[in-house]
Amino acid sequence: MSSSIELPSYKEQSEDVRTRFAELYQRPIKLEVEGLSKSFTTAKGSVEVLSPISFNVHRREFVSVIGPSGCGKSTLIRMLAGLETLSSGTFLLDGQEPSGPGADRGMVFQGYTLFPWLSVKKNVMFGLEVNGKSGAAVEQEAMQWIELVGLTHAADKYPRELSGGMKQRVAIARSLANQPQILFMDEPFGALDPHTRCQMQAHLLQIWRNVDVTIMFVTHDLDEAIYLSDRILVLKANPGEILEYVEVPVPRPRTPEQLLSPEFLAIKQRLEELIHPKEPERDDEPLPNIRMTGIGDEVE
Amino acid sequence: MTNGKKNGKVTSPWFAIRKDLDARQRLTLSCLSFILPLVAWAFVSYSPFIWHPDVKLHISADRSDVTTVYTAGDHLSKTYFPEFVAAIRSDNLEILASRESGDAESRGSSVRRANLKIMRHISDAAIANDWLTRVEAKEDDLLYGVWRDVAEGKLSGKKVKFSEENLAIINRNWELMSASSPTFSSRDLPEIPLEKLVPQGVSANPVYLPAPHEVVIKGLQDFTFESESDKPSMFDRYKHSLKIVFLGFLLAAVVGVPLGVLCGTFDFFSKLFEPFVDFFRYMPAPAFSTLLVAVFLAHDAPKIALVFVGTFFQLVLVVANTTRQLDRSLLEAAQTLGAKNITLIRRVILPGITPNLYNDMRILLGWAWTWLVIAELIGVKSGLTEFLETQGRWRNFDSVFPIIILIGMSGFVTDQFLSSLRKYLFPWTPDAAEKKHGFIGRFFLWLVDPKAYSTPLNGKAK
Ligand SMILES: Nc1ncnc2c1ncn2[C@@H]1O[C@H](COP(=O)(O)OP(=O)(O)OP(=O)(O)O)[C@@H](O)[C@H]1O
Ligand SMILES: [Mg+2]
Repeated sequence: MSSSIELPSYKEQSEDVRTRFAELYQRPIKLEVEGLSKSFTTAKGSVEVLSPISFNVHRREFVSVIGPSGCGKSTLIRMLAGLETLSSGTFLLDGQEPSGPGADRGMVFQGYTLFPWLSVKKNVMFGLEVNGKSGAAVEQEAMQWIELVGLTHAADKYPRELSGGMKQRVAIARSLANQPQILFMDEPFGALDPHTRCQMQAHLLQIWRNVDVTIMFVTHDLDEAIYLSDRILVLKANPGEILEYVEVPVPRPRTPEQLLSPEFLAIKQRLEELIHPKEPERDDEPLPNIRMTGIGDEVE
Repeated sequence: MTNGKKNGKVTSPWFAIRKDLDARQRLTLSCLSFILPLVAWAFVSYSPFIWHPDVKLHISADRSDVTTVYTAGDHLSKTYFPEFVAAIRSDNLEILASRESGDAESRGSSVRRANLKIMRHISDAAIANDWLTRVEAKEDDLLYGVWRDVAEGKLSGKKVKFSEENLAIINRNWELMSASSPTFSSRDLPEIPLEKLVPQGVSANPVYLPAPHEVVIKGLQDFTFESESDKPSMFDRYKHSLKIVFLGFLLAAVVGVPLGVLCGTFDFFSKLFEPFVDFFRYMPAPAFSTLLVAVFLAHDAPKIALVFVGTFFQLVLVVANTTRQLDRSLLEAAQTLGAKNITLIRRVILPGITPNLYNDMRILLGWAWTWLVIAELIGVKSGLTEFLETQGRWRNFDSVFPIIILIGMSGFVTDQFLSSLRKYLFPWTPDAAEKKHGFIGRFFLWLVDPKAYSTPLNGKAK
């Protein structure tokens, strides 16, 4: 299908995009991953989920991680967030090796992890209080973050009274309130309907523009990855390895119309190739033509 | 299409697989679940043709050839009762025969003693018909008056009606009695042997199944009965029983909840404590009763300790399990927000498990109630159980049932009450959203705070 349309190479970048990447690489490295690997010991012995991988993320960059299911995307960012031990390798955050989970690395999960016993406001205040702030200032600060995600009207509600999209917005506000160095997001919009999802993507880009935060975003939706990211880390499964660390040639600011632009389609085609490599044998064989319906029953 | 449309209102069908019934249907069925057993009980008790294998004596008599003594209220089997009646009748025939032959063998004083006994047999009927109180019925001159009044037709039984046969006997006896003396005097009882009253009774269920009204009346009597100052009143007993249950449970909770939370939080404590606790809970608490009495001596301490032993080990395991069931991702989220160790326990684990913990405590309080009777039996018997035990030994089952029901009610009411408080205590839980208040809980809330009762959600004004 796509072969009938003449697409540019995904490596072709406009002048704007090229200078943007040049600028981006000038920025300090926020996250430096060096030979990170992970094996789980199961009943059947040790399974290598991630073989040693290395990559960098620059300050205020938006990086997406994509790959087939089970390739270790979640495992990777859970390790970086300190929720999983490393089997080997190191990573540096701002040049320092963090130990265990901490407020410097925020995380938004796919499932809803708001504290059900706290109102929206109290949820956002949680991180601030835990990190030693107190008093009326905390409440004010929390309200600012809630305003940022557009939920001021729901500040006193309990999580069970919110829709899925609202819950994730609160989760984002809660993580951002700690002003983390880097924000990890593991398929945060996976459970949302397409429309809400689009809205949330636009919200997220806006927040990212306005807040000094670096984002690492796991998804398996290619459009989402392209629409949001500067670079995309493509993983393969068994064991997890980096296939390619792709620069997205779509200029910023991003708009939904760009979903049909040549650069967008070009990179999407490239990602498709990486994730679902062509298997010529299967494609060549046509399906046998067996009719199971009556003659007068044509649909085409 | 076909089901459920009535008067334009959609009602849910009564039998639908895994579907909730609507509120009215639920209420109806909940009421029925209590009414049905009551109806069955009343049915068995009040319809003589169903079962009634016994005869309950209203008027008793002493057989001359058998030493067993029956008093009014005793149950005889239906097969034995006619035999009993026949024996008394033949005794009466003998008495009449001995009068005719004028046997002077029996001396005056022994005849008078026998007559006094016969005269006193009317007391049960006098009490049942409210002619005399239980205390008055011990006074012979009043009983003597009853004989006179019945014979002269001034009194006629309502609840216990004298049979024709007995009325005739009363008339004949009174002739002899009035001839000796119009009022009672132990020396002036007739020296001619009197005829015995023939036993009378109604068919009844066995003594272990008293009728509902008997239980209610007896229960009210027992609870309003003014006890002598040195004996505990029923309310004292009840308070004592409550104290045993609640103190035992409270102690178990105070020690067990922190331990359970620790076990659920740290694998270290889980592996250190839980295997032993798991082993210990299989040892029945009553097996420790003598040991507990030896350690804690008499009075309440060993009883409370028994409730503790019976509840504590279960509680630790349940709480540990509840703690482990807390969604791990909440903990992870809190960690990525910077929470560590104590903060994690205090701000995530504890609030996170509280609603379930509350439920656990309700269930374990129910457990604690089940140990009550055994606890009160050990050492010096006390509380409701002492009463239960004594009355049960005397086969006063109409006194036993109110106590059993009271214990059941206390547990049930507490539980329902606590259960319906949940919505107000934990407004964030999903079941707080639905407005399904327990009946009793609503009543209590109305007592405590009418506003919270009438506003729709979580008692918070919108
Ligand atoms: N605790 C564990 N013990 C054993 N194996 C595990 C564990 N956690 C993850 N795995 C395995 O590691 C592999 C990678 O899991 P991971 O959740 O990181 O995949 P993923 O890329 O996030 O997949 P998805 O897109 O479905 O979320 C899977 O095959 C999984 O079975
Ligand atoms: Mg995953």
